[in-house]
Amino acid sequence: MENLKTPSSKQSTLIPKGLVWAFIVIGFLGFLDATFLTAEHYLGSLLNCPLFGDCEKVTTSPYAVIGGIPVALMGATYYLAIFVLGIAYFDAGRARILKFTANLTPLGLIASLWFLYLQIFVIKALCFYCLISAITSTLLFILGLILRRGTKTRIINEELS
Amino acid sequence: MDNVHQAKRVFLWLGIIVLIGGAVFGMIKLAGRTPANQTALLANAVSTSDWIQGNKDSKVVLVEYSDFQCPACKIFYSFLKDIESKYGSKIQFVYRNFPLSQHANAMLAAQAAGAAGKQGKFWEMHDMIFEGQDTWATQSSADAEKTFASYAQSLQLNIDQFKKDLNSTEIKVKIEDDYQGGIKSGINATPTFFLNGKKLPPPTSYGEFENAIVQAINANP
Repeated sequence: MENLKTPSSKQSTLIPKGLVWAFIVIGFLGFLDATFLTAEHYLGSLLNCPLFGDCEKVTTSPYAVIGGIPVALMGATYYLAIFVLGIAYFDAGRARILKFTANLTPLGLIASLWFLYLQIFVIKALCFYCLISAITSTLLFILGLILRRGTKTRIINEELS
Repeated sequence: MDNVHQAKRVFLWLGIIVLIGGAVFGMIKLAGRTPANQTALLANAVSTSDWIQGNKDSKVVLVEYSDFQCPACKIFYSFLKDIESKYGSKIQFVYRNFPLSQHANAMLAAQAAGAAGKQGKFWEMHDMIFEGQDTWATQSSADAEKTFASYAQSLQLNIDQFKKDLNSTEIKVKIEDDYQGGIKSGINATPTFFLNGKKLPPPTSYGEFENAIVQAINANP
């Protein structure tokens, strides 16, 4: 419980605060995007698709749902986890939380690459909001790589203290 | 200090919960339609120039604004087939064109249906176009035109006449009229349905769609 008293004092310079904030903000943007797609899925609203006009072709394709669950909802859950865990790291000041969160990001990247492949080669249509998700998950993966490096030393320090 | 810190934590997490709740609410609002749109009325009344099937004397009128290339419209096409077989004698169904600019062959498809309509086979062509959507939607417009001509051939239409009508101003004007009527009715998605002049909220399932129609049939015996 000691670390809860003064969490900020435990945050070493090895994990730049700015990067963690960027991680949280991008997670939140991804959450907004995936939530919008989930709402579109359930409400059946199919317009307002900028740049590429084929959102509905992608979002109504058989690949948009896995086992009855829309992939947009899975994405929203993923981004929400990133966002909440990022905040939890600031709250508790434990590098382990950040490491765990950073370890989730390859999942997002793999999912996004798979969906990108489906859009380009199988469905042959691009969905603007899905591409935003591909960008946010790639950024989260890159930030995750950097943050994970910082967490290594921090976790050792935490264990010694 | 502990109490202050605990209070700060509670506020932080309450703030996060409010932020997440607000974000979800905002996104649902953004994705959905405004309540004003949900009670929007059909601007242009059904007339003899419309494509109508079912019971033309029925008081239950379902108007669809649709785009032949829209995948959701294809899903509703199969729903409507089922509705037609169950309640065809109790409702009249009107098809209006709302070809979206992002669908490269939607306008051409609407023209093909109109051209077939000139030879009395609008609905037959309408069905074939939806059934074949996966084929012609990805074709170039020249190839899509050939596909539609092959549909016309299998419907035993006069091909020369069909090709002439396909590009006629008359057909294009009729589609444009449909489209403008849709704009006036505040349409922002396809398909959009008007049941007895009132815009239906976007149905999320076949059951919901059927329910709305059955209710209208029961209210107008």
